[in-house]
Amino acid sequence: MKKKMKWVALPATLSLILLSACGSNGEGAGHAENSAPAPSTQSPPASEAAKPELKALMRLGPNFEKDPIAAMLEEKTGYKVNYEALPVDKPEDKLNLLIASSEPYDIVSTGGDSSSKAIYADYAKKGALVDLTPLIEKYGKNIKASLSPETLEMAKVDGKIYAIPTRSIESVGTSLMIRKDWLDKVGMQVPTTLDELTAVLKAFKEKDPGGNGAKNIPMAIKGDVPMVDNIVGAFGIVNDWNDVNGQLVPRAMNPSFKQYLAYMSDLYKQGLLDQEFAINKDATVKEKFTNGKAGVIVLHWADIPPIDDALKKNFPDAAYAYIPALAGKDGQTGLAQSSGFDRITFVPKSSKHPEDAIKWIDAKLDPNTFKNMAIGLEGTHHTFKDGNYYPILPIFNDERGSASNYLTGIDEKNYPIYWQARVRKDERLYKGWEALNKQQKPEAFKKNPLGLAPYLPDYSKEDAQLGQMVNDYAVKVIVGAEQLAGFDAFTDNYKKAGGQTSYDEINAWYATVKK
Amino acid sequence: MHIHKRTFGDWALDIFVYGFMIVLGLVTLLPMIHVFSKSVSSDWALVSGRVDLLPVGFQLDTLATVVTSYAFGRAFLISAIVTSVGTLLSILVTAITAYPLSKRHLPGISFIMVLFVFTMLFNGGLIPNYLLIRELHLINNLWSLILPAMISVFNMLVIKSYYEGLPEALEESARIDGARSYTILFRIILPLSMPVLATIALFYAVGFWNDYFSPMLYISDPALKTLQLHLRDVVMENDTANAINRSADDLMNMSPESIRAATVVASTVPILLVYPFLQKYFIKGVLIGSVKG
Repeated sequence: MKKKMKWVALPATLSLILLSACGSNGEGAGHAENSAPAPSTQSPPASEAAKPELKALMRLGPNFEKDPIAAMLEEKTGYKVNYEALPVDKPEDKLNLLIASSEPYDIVSTGGDSSSKAIYADYAKKGALVDLTPLIEKYGKNIKASLSPETLEMAKVDGKIYAIPTRSIESVGTSLMIRKDWLDKVGMQVPTTLDELTAVLKAFKEKDPGGNGAKNIPMAIKGDVPMVDNIVGAFGIVNDWNDVNGQLVPRAMNPSFKQYLAYMSDLYKQGLLDQEFAINKDATVKEKFTNGKAGVIVLHWADIPPIDDALKKNFPDAAYAYIPALAGKDGQTGLAQSSGFDRITFVPKSSKHPEDAIKWIDAKLDPNTFKNMAIGLEGTHHTFKDGNYYPILPIFNDERGSASNYLTGIDEKNYPIYWQARVRKDERLYKGWEALNKQQKPEAFKKNPLGLAPYLPDYSKEDAQLGQMVNDYAVKVIVGAEQLAGFDAFTDNYKKAGGQTSYDEINAWYATVKK
Repeated sequence: MHIHKRTFGDWALDIFVYGFMIVLGLVTLLPMIHVFSKSVSSDWALVSGRVDLLPVGFQLDTLATVVTSYAFGRAFLISAIVTSVGTLLSILVTAITAYPLSKRHLPGISFIMVLFVFTMLFNGGLIPNYLLIRELHLINNLWSLILPAMISVFNMLVIKSYYEGLPEALEESARIDGARSYTILFRIILPLSMPVLATIALFYAVGFWNDYFSPMLYISDPALKTLQLHLRDVVMENDTANAINRSADDLMNMSPESIRAATVVASTVPILLVYPFLQKYFIKGVLIGSVKG
């Protein structure tokens, strides 16, 4: 109880400290910018001869001390790095504390989601970060070769680059997974349109291919995710914000959302959607699928191996497949493709060796070092065949399994190809990934347009709250607790609750990037 | 000897009391059994949610993997060091501090008492504490987990009131035999106070062992992670709060449910084992027969 109280007081106190620290830092920074680079430029031999030990705060990190990747990087870059890691739980609280108290980290990596971007922009604006623009110009040969200008542009705050972002791999993660053997039993094909899906679900309900009786569930979804991947695509509302005639429109302000809700509530009414879905958690949905109660669920391909194990153990004859991008009434399809930053790496003002930090990051992006870090050495950790990389197990997992924790910027051309070696460590993973990313029509892929957006203060502030509002409303409509007739009133509420300011802000930015 | 027959009311009360205690006991026991069963069940059974109270697909591999893993072993060692050193120092310092404070006749003792009690009611708060630890250069140092927690005023007060309950005559007789204050404290008072010291030691030990908050604040070096930090990282990994923001790499590297359960079990059992050994002190009355009539 007492500890909770402390946390509540934390943000307020922190911002005070941060402000006061920056007040003094700000003045000091003026001097620092003039004086700090001076010693190192005057005596380059000294810094050349003895590379300082760097202190890095990484996002995750189970075992940096004994990790073979750390050892390899130390050898290749010549820098000894002391890695520390943020806790998995509430990393931003600890990060705020460390930055506010000017801990002398040389490299800090955080997540790349919108709240992390907000924290990053906040630090940058308050003067807590080193402006990397001149350093990249001077020492960042590999950085400039590996990161696209677009990526660096997105990292800018007030026209200056304060971070080396790591782009996320653009791939589709989740879609609908269907029991193939159930389909065979009812004599149907994998659905390709919304109407076919409805027909299949009806057949699952009526013919009960799983023999579940009253417990039969044609389709199960999570209670906190009423926007079902793939189905939302058929209505043209793949992401939270979607391009409608050149404007980015949130679901709540999009008439297609109303149609989507009508479709879903109809499924619910007919008993085609899990009647208890509102209380389903991630694990519940998986339980229902692996126990043969549910015929269709939403699943990420990375979750396939444990699901496969459990399903095959319970039903040795079970088979499953991803449903391809479903076509809606007017042929619309869409699978959400992740896009944006996987993590952000910056150098705090309190760093004692900002130049070496950039040199280190640059050295890690040397093509050979980077490849070694990502997938190891050919012949030892991976093999190369027909333009693809295949892992050698188990050494690949043992020595390169946690490589993603070390990323500070990626070779944006090659890493997506290297990375596939990671997916190939389990045939089932690769099959699932392939089904969603290689066997779909390219036009089905819909990138999240906000993934690459700069920090948008209003949107960042309201996003979580508005998202919750939309989800709650969707669940209520689907279970019939609220009537769709009130949709316009809901849209008005949404706009008043901050939706309109976010809309204006986002589209002001969107107008500048649209071709 | 029953003086009167048990009435219906007595029976009803007994049934209610027993029933209530049994339910309360089950409420605390069942979740532990559940987690234990999970730790020794197969992954396929966990994914399909078939494990309730009894293990399904019994196996000990997960538990063995967790216990023998490097990260767990190191975190366990760090926690064991912090707990044993911390408990020893704490109990020593607390017991010694309580002694003079139990002597009301010492000059100025009530003022010093107020100073102690003051810290129970007011403290600097999180940020000043952090800054203090930082200025003492104790960040990423195990002493940061021990020193600030060394005296709990509450525990000290418990010991103090126990001392006050000891018969004055014992000390007087020792003093007549020529013992000085140190001898009296270490040879007479402390041995007589074993029940309370054992209890307080257990409080301290459990506190040090379970402490998550201070290592979370003061320790960033993975080599110094305590068991609770490690446990938190393992357990929170699967928290779905922001699963959407998670990269496919993180998802693929996620440890299965059984690993999490096994880590919980492996980090809880050691401190549970301390209880039976200290149990006897809770029950035994030491003072019986020490002063005659």
